[in-house]
Amino acid sequence: MENRHKRVFLAAAVCSALTAPIHAEEQRESWQILDPGIERQEFSSPAINRDDFEIGPYIGMLSIQDFNSDVLYGMRAAWHINEDFFFEGNYGSSQADLTSYEKLSGGAPLFDDSERDYTFYDLNLGWNALPGEIFILDVYALKSDFYFVGGAGSTDFLGDNFFTLIVGAGFRMLLNDWISWRFDVRDHIFDRDAFGNNETTNNIELSTGVTFLF
Amino acid sequence: MMYSLALASAGAAAQDTVFSATVVEPYLDMRTQPGRGYPVFYVAERGEHLELLRQRTDWIKVRNARGIEGWVHVDDIGKTVDGSGATLALKGPDFDSFTRRNWEFGFMVGDYDSTDTLGAYLGWHFTRNLSVELEASENFGDYSDGRMITASLVHQMFPQWRYSPFLTIGGGVRQTNPRSTLVSTQDRTDNTADVGAGLRIHLTRRLLLRLQYKYYVVMTDRDDDEEVNEWKIGISAFF
Repeated sequence: MENRHKRVFLAAAVCSALTAPIHAEEQRESWQILDPGIERQEFSSPAINRDDFEIGPYIGMLSIQDFNSDVLYGMRAAWHINEDFFFEGNYGSSQADLTSYEKLSGGAPLFDDSERDYTFYDLNLGWNALPGEIFILDVYALKSDFYFVGGAGSTDFLGDNFFTLIVGAGFRMLLNDWISWRFDVRDHIFDRDAFGNNETTNNIELSTGVTFLF
Repeated sequence: MMYSLALASAGAAAQDTVFSATVVEPYLDMRTQPGRGYPVFYVAERGEHLELLRQRTDWIKVRNARGIEGWVHVDDIGKTVDGSGATLALKGPDFDSFTRRNWEFGFMVGDYDSTDTLGAYLGWHFTRNLSVELEASENFGDYSDGRMITASLVHQMFPQWRYSPFLTIGGGVRQTNPRSTLVSTQDRTDNTADVGAGLRIHLTRRLLLRLQYKYYVVMTDRDDDEEVNEWKIGISAFF
């Protein structure tokens, strides 16, 4: 009998000991109202092929003040910063012939042949002032831009380097997604002291070229 | 990337990875050409899938399931999701990207010792405050021309400011060529050291204006070193 009583008490004691923490756990859980499992917002950054750069050769005529007009060759590269503005760099060369005076006087030439090499580089900011579209029949619609450029550069001519200002305008037509065709008119303005006194010269460039976008 | 690969339509450029976007906003404007002035010729609906073909400046060329191609602004593509439902982290450059820029390129004109000067530089920001810059410049005087290459360490104190001042210290090499109209003298090459200060101003999107002053010491072979003040203004873009 005593054994049975003991067993009942023991059983009761064990049961209460086991259930007590369970009750406490249940209570604690019931306080937990907020769900901490906030879903993280996922972002993906696709590496889309960009073509903000263009580079290509060009050819044209350069009319050098006091000299003749001659063929001009060059390379042109541009970085399109946004749809409105681009940075542009040019490197080109041409060669001056005899001055009118040298031709008429028939005397000894005033400059060496190597001094008649006209090479230049410049850095410009371009502004796509008039974006447009060109339609060829009803088959093609090509993007075009009429732009202005302005900048500065260096001209190596008659044995010296001259600080040169560039102003100009041009027209660009995109033949497809990665080839463009450009026409440009530029004035290369610099002060030259080769004939004794310092004078401002305007050297007009007319050129055309293709560039490749990448 | 894998999701986009999985979604890539069989016909489209099999060798290239094709990224896709699904419209979640009510609509998405597609323009005929990359520019805000070009007409909207197609409006993609919510749920429509678009392939992202290429990006030019702030515009992305897309193609829908029916093969219609047009240009969408990058900010609008930034509101679409990819195949896994993740938002495409694409947006145009803004002031926030200015404060977190990594690279900076620009060109400057100004006055070097009362002569015209011209230069181009490339800068790499390795922390938000510090950057290294490499600059090539040329100046054109009445008596001599010079070419200079300098490397500088640039510190900007307040990268989060739109008008962000900076200090710079550096060194380089300078080549001086006397003008051909003068009695012939030798070209010479000297080392230079410089300190300076300046201001970068975020103009709009990717463009910034840069003003700077530098004090150069040109270490010549003669008894005295040349001390030169240089002021420059320039336009730069960051990426």
